[in-house]
Amino acid sequence: MIRFEHVAKRYPGGVQALSDVNFELRRGEMAFLTGHSGAGKSTLLRLIAVLERPSRGQVLFDGKNVGRVSSRQIPRLRRKVGVIFQDHKLLTDRKVLDNVALPLLIAGYSWSEIRRRVRAALDLVGLLDKENTLIPALSGGQQQRVGIARAMIAKPPVLLADEPTGNLDPELSEELMRLFCTLNELGTTVLIATHDLDLVERLGRRTLVLKAGCMIDDRSGAGAGRRDGEAGP
Amino acid sequence: MSRMSERGGGDLRAWARRHGYSLLSSVGTLVRNPLTSALTIIVLAIALTLPLGLNTALVNLEAVHDNLDRLDSISVFLELDAGEDGARRVASQLSSWRNILAVDPVSPETGMRELAGATGLDRFEVGDVPLPWVLEVTPNSTVDIAELAERLRRAERVDMVVVDLDWVRRLDAILGVFSRLVILLAALFAASVLFVISNNIRTEIQRRREEIEILALVGATPGYIRRPFLYSGLWMGLGGALLAWLAVHAGLWMLKGPVEALAATYGASAELTAPSVQMLGLMLTGSGVLGILGAWVAVSRQLARINP
Ligand SMILES: Nc1ncnc2c1ncn2[C@@H]1O[C@H](COP(=O)(O)OP(=O)(O)OP(=O)(O)O)[C@@H](O)[C@H]1O
Ligand SMILES: [Mg+2]
Repeated sequence: MIRFEHVAKRYPGGVQALSDVNFELRRGEMAFLTGHSGAGKSTLLRLIAVLERPSRGQVLFDGKNVGRVSSRQIPRLRRKVGVIFQDHKLLTDRKVLDNVALPLLIAGYSWSEIRRRVRAALDLVGLLDKENTLIPALSGGQQQRVGIARAMIAKPPVLLADEPTGNLDPELSEELMRLFCTLNELGTTVLIATHDLDLVERLGRRTLVLKAGCMIDDRSGAGAGRRDGEAGP
Repeated sequence: MSRMSERGGGDLRAWARRHGYSLLSSVGTLVRNPLTSALTIIVLAIALTLPLGLNTALVNLEAVHDNLDRLDSISVFLELDAGEDGARRVASQLSSWRNILAVDPVSPETGMRELAGATGLDRFEVGDVPLPWVLEVTPNSTVDIAELAERLRRAERVDMVVVDLDWVRRLDAILGVFSRLVILLAALFAASVLFVISNNIRTEIQRRREEIEILALVGATPGYIRRPFLYSGLWMGLGGALLAWLAVHAGLWMLKGPVEALAATYGASAELTAPSVQMLGLMLTGSGVLGILGAWVAVSRQLARINP
């Protein structure tokens, strides 16, 4: 589904965020992406959603080189990828309902269908009673969950999450990670960038480790609880 | 794929819904910022009132000009041997005609003086060219000038009838200049409408940068992102045109009294012509299209920056 071949990304300022990254995420697979702050996790996710273009190498999505797609094709591609952003990226002057509904509005769903689906999604992230609340009136963790609801509402085949549990307490983190696992079992390909190594280990999924822009480890999730080979910052 | 079939309705219905959401969104923006919207619409209205007002003035002046033809005087040249007595007799005869307001006899001497003055020649250079008596006839304001002139031509002792249309022609020329001016101003103000709207949309875009970025992030097409702004441009254009229209009507209403008073001194009745409904339609269309264009320019520039 997603394949990186010798991908490098250098930002205009001269920062080498990624250098020669190779990996493949198959359809229906779920993986975690860890690494120290500034290792390039967000950059890697941004390349998949074509929020950035790679400087070198190929990013293949469904066999298509997304580094080369024309800007006219970008929206269609992005709709196949639900992204949960580290900084939420919510419309701060709108209600929760309007934010979560965004992908469905774009797709032209009927309003009744949108209402139904928004309620279902908010129910999953535990925010059903906040439907008509303005974003600034929510806590950081609640905003994060609005972002999660928005990312999954249109049921995209791929879900990318950048620190989705960064602002959440351990119980809620665990609950939302389980939600990602459930979505994965229903067929969604999931890639989650996170610092929460304990949680990653407990869930025992495949884990990709970035260090200073290089992929230094790619562990399959078979052995839950394994601690050796952990490349700390 | 099951994902595709989950989308309610056909593509056409989805398309219509997307348009509906954009439309609502644009109205929402206007309503959420009533002051900004009102100010923009007022600025547009002012810009549009000028050419529309001038055009209305032009239409009304042309109507006055048609009336002025009738107020013009007619010069009736009598036969050379008519003499003063003959002239006075014909004059009193003519002044009894229903269509004639006044008859003013001009002696050959006066005529000679005027001729010398007008040509700049000394009266001796003009010499002894015999001049006839002339009757300056002021027709009634409702009369058909051509017909009256024809009747005068057939009257007793009349040699020649000259309808002096000089100053009417001059007015004609002035109106020509004026109407060209209206076209120029209309073009100028159309451009200003374009700039006002696109500038307004630009600040609006600046304010809603975040929203545009987020829409792009969740996969909205440039068309989708652009649409609410295009609608905003349309609303502003329409609002401006409508307000300008109302302003011109208000102006006409205020001028009504004085103009009637002025007309009364000429013994005429004045009927001010308001801009036609077709004119309103034309302005709404034009201003609306300009609004959409202005918005298009502003949004496209912004969009180019978002997609890498
Ligand atoms: N838009 C940008 N322009 C220039 N440099 C950038 C940009 N975004 C990220 N970088 C740089 O690229 C490197 C990798 O950043 P990235 O955001 O991918 O790290 P990260 O692994 O997500 O870190 P964190 O865990 O703190 O979120 C960093 O050194 C960062 O300074
Ligand atoms: Mg990051």
